[in-house]
Amino acid sequence: MTSTEAIRSIQDNIARVIKGKPHAIELTLVCLLARGHLLLEDVPGVGKTTLAHSLARSLDCSFKRIQFTSDLLPSDIVGVSIFNRQKQAFEFVRGPIFANIVLADEINRTTPKTQSSLLEAMSEAQISVDNQTYPLSQPFMVIATQNPSEYHGTFPLPESQLDRFLMRLRIGYPAPDEERKILARTPSLRPAEELQPVVTAQEVLELQGQADQVFMDESLTDYILSLVQATRHTELLSLGVSPRGGLALSRAAKALALVRGRTYCLPDDIRELAPIVLSHRVMVARSQGFGLQNFGQAERIIQDIIDSVPVPV
Amino acid sequence: MSLEQAFRISSVLLAGVSFIALVLGTGLPAWLVFFTTVALLLAFVGAVGAMAGWSSVPQAARSTITWNVLVLAAFFGFVVDSLTSDELLYAGLRFLLVLMIMKLFHLRHRGDYLHLLAITVVMMLAAALGADLWYVPLVIAYFVLGVWTLFLYGMTRPLGTQPFSPVAMGPRQQTRYPSGLDHGGEKVTVRLLQVASGLALAVLGLTVLFFYMLPRLDTKHPRIDEGTVIRTAGFSQSVDLGALGPMKLDPRIVMRVELLDQASRERKGLYLRGMAFDHYDGRSWVNRLGRRWPIHQMPQRTFALQEQHGGEQMASEPFYRQRILLEPLDTPVLFGVPFIETVRGKLPAVQVDGGGSFYLSVPIAKPLEYTAVSRPTVVLPADLRPPSSPYHYHDAVLQYFTQVPPQSDRVAALARTVAQHARTPFEQARAVQDYLARHYRYSLELVGSEQTNPLEEFLFERKTGYCEHYATAMAIMLRTLGVPSRLATGFLATEWNEYGNYYVVRQRDAHAWVEIYLPHSGWIVMDPTPPADENVAPAEGLWLAWTKLMDHLQLRWNRVVVQYSAADQLAMVEGVQVNGAAISHKVRKSFQILLGTVAGVLEKSANLLGTATRDRAIAMGLTGLALLGLFLGIWLFRKQSQRTFLGRNAQGKYGDGSITWIYEEMLSYLSTQGLQKPTHIGPLQFSNIIRQQWTEASSVVEAITSLYCKERFGKVPLTLEEHHLAHQRLGELRNRTRFANQ
Repeated sequence: MTSTEAIRSIQDNIARVIKGKPHAIELTLVCLLARGHLLLEDVPGVGKTTLAHSLARSLDCSFKRIQFTSDLLPSDIVGVSIFNRQKQAFEFVRGPIFANIVLADEINRTTPKTQSSLLEAMSEAQISVDNQTYPLSQPFMVIATQNPSEYHGTFPLPESQLDRFLMRLRIGYPAPDEERKILARTPSLRPAEELQPVVTAQEVLELQGQADQVFMDESLTDYILSLVQATRHTELLSLGVSPRGGLALSRAAKALALVRGRTYCLPDDIRELAPIVLSHRVMVARSQGFGLQNFGQAERIIQDIIDSVPVPV
Repeated sequence: MSLEQAFRISSVLLAGVSFIALVLGTGLPAWLVFFTTVALLLAFVGAVGAMAGWSSVPQAARSTITWNVLVLAAFFGFVVDSLTSDELLYAGLRFLLVLMIMKLFHLRHRGDYLHLLAITVVMMLAAALGADLWYVPLVIAYFVLGVWTLFLYGMTRPLGTQPFSPVAMGPRQQTRYPSGLDHGGEKVTVRLLQVASGLALAVLGLTVLFFYMLPRLDTKHPRIDEGTVIRTAGFSQSVDLGALGPMKLDPRIVMRVELLDQASRERKGLYLRGMAFDHYDGRSWVNRLGRRWPIHQMPQRTFALQEQHGGEQMASEPFYRQRILLEPLDTPVLFGVPFIETVRGKLPAVQVDGGGSFYLSVPIAKPLEYTAVSRPTVVLPADLRPPSSPYHYHDAVLQYFTQVPPQSDRVAALARTVAQHARTPFEQARAVQDYLARHYRYSLELVGSEQTNPLEEFLFERKTGYCEHYATAMAIMLRTLGVPSRLATGFLATEWNEYGNYYVVRQRDAHAWVEIYLPHSGWIVMDPTPPADENVAPAEGLWLAWTKLMDHLQLRWNRVVVQYSAADQLAMVEGVQVNGAAISHKVRKSFQILLGTVAGVLEKSANLLGTATRDRAIAMGLTGLALLGLFLGIWLFRKQSQRTFLGRNAQGKYGDGSITWIYEEMLSYLSTQGLQKPTHIGPLQFSNIIRQQWTEASSVVEAITSLYCKERFGKVPLTLEEHHLAHQRLGELRNRTRFANQ
């Protein structure tokens, strides 16, 4: 099975459950292949959990879901050492983070302390407990969700943590026709459970390796650079995109090219991904509106910047 | 109805309206009317039929060369037509119509529609030559349709000019397109039609209103601008013969005089009388009868001098009606053909003095228009017969008009000698007039010092002078003979503007002449001044015609817009038709003069060559023309073949055949079709836009785009076959046009 076929089969498999959202599925795959983590920001009930679950099912990977609440502790995520009477020793009981796909539901409902416990796991794919380092299983991907319409009792994610997500995505409501199909479908309690894996975890790792091999022309690197520079120099943003943001855009563009069956990147890839990859990494200037996480405004500003930078010819 | 269909239909309708205007306005041959009507109908059916997906207009000749050849043929036809029919203007109109017919069959590019629009504008202008009241609804229709066409033209132009907001593939999961992008789905609704037409009409109405109102709004401040008020150096209120000096030939326009009862010029020029002087003290003339008294205003803003003349006598006698547009002067005198009886116009008050001169109360500060009715006096037969007994003039006449300065014995002697054979006062006057005109030389370039007796200086020593010398000499000589006479000043108008049928009076036309009182006829005008050499009318040329035309337009503007006369506006609408013929005649004449000049020069040079070599010269000219045509053809053919057979020189470097070059060529061709690629749009996205905008071309564009992306961004070298493919695709694209195929 070639990489294109493998990717196609994953997409088709997920699409059996998530109807009418091929683009969201594609971008989720991009995130996976770029070794990134995904922040889904949308209202409840549009299929965030189902998307994460069906991705895990399709990949033949382990899947854990953590419901983030205000009393959640770091040990509830990474695990805890428990004294084993028989062995007369402390034994580390692994937490839900030890899975291939981790769904961190409503991540902004828990305290910053707990949120930051995800940090090491997300950036280094390992965790350290009691001076002991445990590598996480590969592939490893965190899919976090948060609800944009509710702000009471939430702890907005710190910038450092936001920066660790490759992209921030909205799923959005399905189109009316698609929604009709969803309603007409035979109700199933857990549709994702019925999916059969189409690729193995090993094949996912190979695909990730191929994504790294995608060719990116120098002019496109310069294009990314000029986009990033533009976010740093505009007056509309008080904080521009970090070098990690630029790197993330480059990786995501390569993964998208692979998903689309190309061995090289195009300016279109970068243009398409830039709002999704960059807009949660910037801070909107006070003059442009209030609110720490003024994401909609940030997206518009990033879009304007993209429209002002000429693509290489 | 989609926007593009509406655009096509409104373009054809626009052509139809201008064609109707042209047919109504000018006489066109029946065959041309027939062919144009057929072409318009076909184009209209084609535009409407495009909705149903079929085209009735035969697109037989698709190649540009064919059209160029046809245009050239039409042009040669026009040249032949204009030479044979001798009607340049109408030949031009026929040429224009032929061009329009050809355009109607050749509406492929967006540019073609613009050409059609330009042709209709010229047609509307040409139709205005013969305009009548029917022109008004046609103009309104043309305006509305024109606004519509341009409006639709702008709306169907999809990219480049509009602010482009790109497709957002963002987390919102919705695809945004700018309004112009997916206009395939946009329709022309009834509401849109109503709103746009209403707006167009409102704008038209407002424009007319502004043009009607604004020039008429008084600024409330009288203009006290030294620069605009003409100093009457030529015409002055006192005539001083003593001060000599080179007179200025000031070409500034003082007034324009239109004769209402005749459309032709006077042979000798038109006398426009300002003031009369009765007293000569040996150096200068003064007006002892200068006391003015007001004339009562009668209905219709009329000021009549003698009410008894307003009756049947007026109708029976010849009289002049003149419409005079007076520029700002520093004198309050109202000018007119002698002798003014009635003045009509928006005048605050009119005064008259003992010399029969009309005055305003103050000099005007802005152009003033008035109508003067004059009764030119003729010499009655009673004055031609020798009187049985010497006529006794009225005491007042003798008191004022036979005064002579002291020490005029020499003048009196000369007068007696000159008029020794004359039996009547009129014959005496004729004798003196002839004598002066024959024996004295007219010149404006007099140099000299302060003179003590300028009249004797003129009569006996210098024998050279200008109009005031002549007139003074005649008046004083006649006075010594007992004939009452006086000096009149004013202007002698000789410059005739054929385009508007009026006289242009300039500062340099200032003149002085003599008025003689005959026992039965009354005051008559006599002019002893011979025509000056300088007064010879300049040769008619294009430039002169142009300035006259411009001056005419200026007068029209002033009359129709500034001087606020609804009656005159109606009269103008009626008169346009009459004047149009004269104007077109003049324009034709000017062209003929130009052609004649060119022909003359050619003939002269041919004569220089000699008759023997002339035939050879003609042969050489013909050969040259043929060679020129040949080169033109080769050039056109090469240009065409370059497009078609581009694939031959593949494998070139950047600039002559590389895929990037092909891609850029494709972009530039697309931009000529109204599809310009914004710089911030990626190649794939642009190709998607093409798929929506121009579906027929999308396969070609996608093929070239994918090859371009592969080599440019993937650094995958293309094979030779792929290069050929790209070149072929480019050729295919260039054979398509965006509009004709829909």
